[in-house]
Amino acid sequence: MSTNAAPRDDRMPLALTVNGRAVTLRAEPRMHLADVLREELDLTGTHLGCEHGICGACTVLLDGEPARACLTVSGACAGADVTTIEGLDDDPIAGELRAAFNREHALQCGYCTPGMLVAARDLVLRLPDADERRIRAGLSGNLCRCTGYVGIVRAVRGVIADRRARGIAPTTGAQRGLGPVGARLGTPAEAARTPLRPVTATGTNPAPEAAAAPETAAPALEIADDFVPAHRFDQAFTVAHPPDAVFALFGDVEAVATCLPGAVLTGRPSPEMVEGALQVRIGPIAARFRGRARIFRDAPARSGRILGAGSDAGGRSATQGEIRYRVGPGEAPGTAKVDLAVGYTLKGPLAQFGRPGLVRDLAGRLGAEFAANLEARLSGAPAPPAAGLNPLRWLLAALVAPLRRRLAARGARRP
Amino acid sequence: MKPARFAYERPADLSALLDRLASAEGSVKLMAGGQSLGPMLNLRLVEPDLVLDITGIPELRRAAIEGDTLVLGACVTHADIEDGRVPDLTGGALARVAAAIAYRPVRNRGTLGGSLVHADPAADWVTSLIALGAEVELAARTGRRRLPVDAFVTGALDVALAPGEMLVSVRIPALPPGTAWGYVKHCAKIGEFAHAIGAVRIEPATGRARVVIGAIERAPLVVAEAARLFGGRIGPDFAERFDRAAADGVLREAGMTDAVDRHVHVTILARAVAQAARPAPSTRPVSEAA
Repeated sequence: MSTNAAPRDDRMPLALTVNGRAVTLRAEPRMHLADVLREELDLTGTHLGCEHGICGACTVLLDGEPARACLTVSGACAGADVTTIEGLDDDPIAGELRAAFNREHALQCGYCTPGMLVAARDLVLRLPDADERRIRAGLSGNLCRCTGYVGIVRAVRGVIADRRARGIAPTTGAQRGLGPVGARLGTPAEAARTPLRPVTATGTNPAPEAAAAPETAAPALEIADDFVPAHRFDQAFTVAHPPDAVFALFGDVEAVATCLPGAVLTGRPSPEMVEGALQVRIGPIAARFRGRARIFRDAPARSGRILGAGSDAGGRSATQGEIRYRVGPGEAPGTAKVDLAVGYTLKGPLAQFGRPGLVRDLAGRLGAEFAANLEARLSGAPAPPAAGLNPLRWLLAALVAPLRRRLAARGARRP
Repeated sequence: MKPARFAYERPADLSALLDRLASAEGSVKLMAGGQSLGPMLNLRLVEPDLVLDITGIPELRRAAIEGDTLVLGACVTHADIEDGRVPDLTGGALARVAAAIAYRPVRNRGTLGGSLVHADPAADWVTSLIALGAEVELAARTGRRRLPVDAFVTGALDVALAPGEMLVSVRIPALPPGTAWGYVKHCAKIGEFAHAIGAVRIEPATGRARVVIGAIERAPLVVAEAARLFGGRIGPDFAERFDRAAADGVLREAGMTDAVDRHVHVTILARAVAQAARPAPSTRPVSEAA
């Protein structure tokens, strides 16, 4: 998080050709091309909608080909030839498209229009004929929330049909080097080098803000008793120890936390309440959830319920979750089967990646690890190594995050 | 929606990149076209200390044929494959997969290597290259190794890259004449990540088949003993012999408990099998094929 670092200027020189004009400026590496255009060059015709590549409002031409300006960091297009909507004023195809958009009422609020025109121009160049299905497919990466697309499609069809009727053939796009458009080979490497920020003392690079955050009390999140999860799934695993032993271990919050990769308790847990954090990692995503959970146990039924809530360090993603578990006899004598019912709700940026199936997969893999650690502990083996090496965990964290206890499972069931 | 600060470097040759990857302190992410990493940076789901841009390395932007294998550098884009700027040994199969990935502006920068390393379970290359029997070549300062794609992709967003190691190329074997190929995905909206993918590579003459079910929110499922999907025998009549109940059983065994999910995946797989039984389209799609 930038607040950790002392203010510093890490802008690097950036040379571009924008709408035919050579420009040199300085931009932070994290600045994407759309912000360079809008903030540094006042070319505000390039619009920003979703900023993650879905809506298409920021589409510009990079070395003559359409690309997402929001997904092109400034250094990645050094030396490139950028054409924005402002640079298409005198472009014949764009001129025909503007006339057609006007004629067909192909815009209302106009927010999507710059990106729509850039994408439409590309279709006019490449599509062999005015096939409506292909035009619609080709415009699927540009969202319009006003028009219902009918006018837009009609406008693009009209321009394509007209140009083909005039004997103008489609282009093949065959003549260009391999690799991402706008990424020039031979750009001086020295120019593209910025200082590393000081590495945090903890070494293992968790999310930086997490490393700096003191392990103080967890945020006081409300845990609603009547919480209704948005997603639910069931899992189960078996442990080669009797149900009573497994259930007893589940009552030892600290023991359970040790078996859960990435879990850290903050403060002393009571049998009814636990506070802590869970560091999770999947692929490039590292997140640390802090929160608290309430624990309910029903000894005669060998079942329990954990209800928790937590948020990540920046407070941007939050989760609430519930795990109900039941420890019963396994198929073989002396073994236990643990059935889990997990329900959770996830909000914030993580939720955009938190497809329910991914969560189940992670829960499955995390659960397998938990089950193995549990098994080892019940067998008197040494504690598992500290967390940090295992590459799979996060979202699960999300749901289960606050509950120090993991659960999940894998066994044969991995949807 | 703005990335957290990161340092940025763009080495000009592979050895410099591998040295930097091995020596850099803090968290390092490699970036090719940035079409998968970019959203995660913008959402601050990933906050690396250093982004190493790999697009300045000529070796990663090459394509070559070695014997009956097509070797594509990690930075070859979907559009490069779609447009035929790289050679083809698959009768257009690769180009048809490429043409239906996301959207054209994304395909113009999104790369084969980046997609595989990101390993979204619903990504097209993850499933299709497993079905084609492709390998990845990985490089580190200490040497190189190759892995089949199905061994490389270890889970959702999870791959078998060791610290200091990167993917440099993808090796795609030729589809021999007479090999049937089908690839079908289901998207509710064109260009979004698939909800179901079926990929089949069938050799009716030898009775061998590779059947892969993808977009199941974990590493794709390679059906063991594919013949059981075809009544125990794979021949020229494989499409008529395709057994939906057997496919449903495979998914059930794999733990897919939701009957609706299974129905969708079985249907998409059946369509892939049916597509494989038809002659490959002679024209390359210019744009997204649904």
